[in-house]
Amino acid sequence: MSNWLNHQLQAIKLVLSRMRDNLLSSFMICLVVGVAMCLPSLFYLGIDNLSKLTDHMQTETEISLFLELDASSDTISEIDALLAKNSAIKQYHLITKDAAWQQLQEKSKNNHDISDAVNQLGKNPLPDAFFIQAESTEPEALELLRNELQTIPGVEQALFNTEWAKRLATLLSLSKKLIFFIASLLAVVLLVIIGNTVRMQILTQKDEIEVSYLIGATSSFIRTPFLYAGMLYGLFGGLLAVLMMMWMIQTFNYSVSQISYLYNSDFRLALFNGVVYLTVIGSAMLIGWIGSYFAVTRAIASIVHLQKSH
Amino acid sequence: MIQFDQVTKRYPGSDEVLKNISFSVNAGEFVFVTGHSGAGKSTLLKLIAATERPTSGTVLVANQNVSQLKASAIPFLRRRFGLIFQDHKLLYDRNCFENVILPLRINGVSGNEAAKRVRAALDKVGLLHKEKAMPITLSGGEQQRLAIARAVVSRPSILIADEPTGNLDASYTADIMAIFYAFNQVGVTVIMATHDALGMSTTQNRVLHLNQGKLVPSTPSHADLSALNQTELSIEKFA
Repeated sequence: MSNWLNHQLQAIKLVLSRMRDNLLSSFMICLVVGVAMCLPSLFYLGIDNLSKLTDHMQTETEISLFLELDASSDTISEIDALLAKNSAIKQYHLITKDAAWQQLQEKSKNNHDISDAVNQLGKNPLPDAFFIQAESTEPEALELLRNELQTIPGVEQALFNTEWAKRLATLLSLSKKLIFFIASLLAVVLLVIIGNTVRMQILTQKDEIEVSYLIGATSSFIRTPFLYAGMLYGLFGGLLAVLMMMWMIQTFNYSVSQISYLYNSDFRLALFNGVVYLTVIGSAMLIGWIGSYFAVTRAIASIVHLQKSH
Repeated sequence: MIQFDQVTKRYPGSDEVLKNISFSVNAGEFVFVTGHSGAGKSTLLKLIAATERPTSGTVLVANQNVSQLKASAIPFLRRRFGLIFQDHKLLYDRNCFENVILPLRINGVSGNEAAKRVRAALDKVGLLHKEKAMPITLSGGEQQRLAIARAVVSRPSILIADEPTGNLDASYTADIMAIFYAFNQVGVTVIMATHDALGMSTTQNRVLHLNQGKLVPSTPSHADLSALNQTELSIEKFA
């Protein structure tokens, strides 16, 4: 056991010293691994966060009932009475056009572009509106209620607030599938790159491998350092990917915080996403290991074959 | 120790390199394998070291049937041998010490114990003062002695040498032969292939003479006997 451990430690030490001797080229390989891991992970993080946001929105069951612009106060109270009688409605409240207009002006105060545009409008373009919370959360029941509300005279439009969120969610789930394909393609690229790098290293150590074989080295003895090399490329590449992602998330959060504010949201990407980071590093190491395993197995077979044919 | 029973070896696309060979080598013997180049000497050694398998017949090494050995068991069989090649097969990217320590690494020996054994092996071949030197800076004879140090560092019970003096001039050859005799005297079995007369330097040693893949009885010539005296002188020098 201690012998085995000793061999593993020696192999790691050997690989690290070889990497130190070729610092620049080792760094380049790690960088390639890092960038390739970073791309799909960032894409995933973005989409994952967006879909969490839309999931949250979809659970809301609010229907907005916009009245015709010229709706009189009589019409409003008639509709009010109708809504009060409807058993499918949990609660509702009215926001008059004046109240809405005031809210808009207040909210846009902090942003010059929007407040300029609002001021240019001159008169209030907003309708009176009821915001209705339905009793049921079933999509069918909601649809039924919406259709019913739509037919009330004086109502311009009955809208689910979350309709756009549903469309976005569909798009996002499509994008998730896309990420899967992109990630798989990049994994193949990494397999080839790491495999090829390890193959080149094996070629430079061909003599050593040949002699080691002749004096009784087992295949695993020969293979171990190269497997560690592949795995370490994955580890360092994965760490680089995590660093790059953290940097990009930080930059992104800085700009997104301004937009989020306008939407009354505190939406931002988490800087420390342990599961994603561990997955990135873990899969990079696994890819490195597999890539070098194939390379070293093929190379050893050809070296042993050479040795026999002479 | 080593037993060949009706061994035939044929490489793909060639005639039989060895034909129906039977012999045995006891522990502690010093055996020469002689013959012209192409007579099958190297193949015979490769069959012992399990780098080749016989086409037919059985090769027994330490009571293990080499041809029936699993591929995974072969490395462990090879660790019983010290192998010495005509072209040394040294690693030129590292110094003498690092070259000699390689078999110990493979055997899982490390640390002070390994360093001690490497220095002992270098001392036996007279290269202790060159442990930091790179092999390329050594003379041909010194390189071959370094290769011997690497072969004996893991204390194998059998030394197999394929024309170890093939590229060396007479004085180096005597040095190298003396080292082999010294190991043989402490009980190591030595099997050495050679095509030159100096190899068959003594009537005490058994000679397996190969001619076109067959074992033939051989008689040492006068030239060989005169070479014997020369070699024995150098043994005293080294012992």
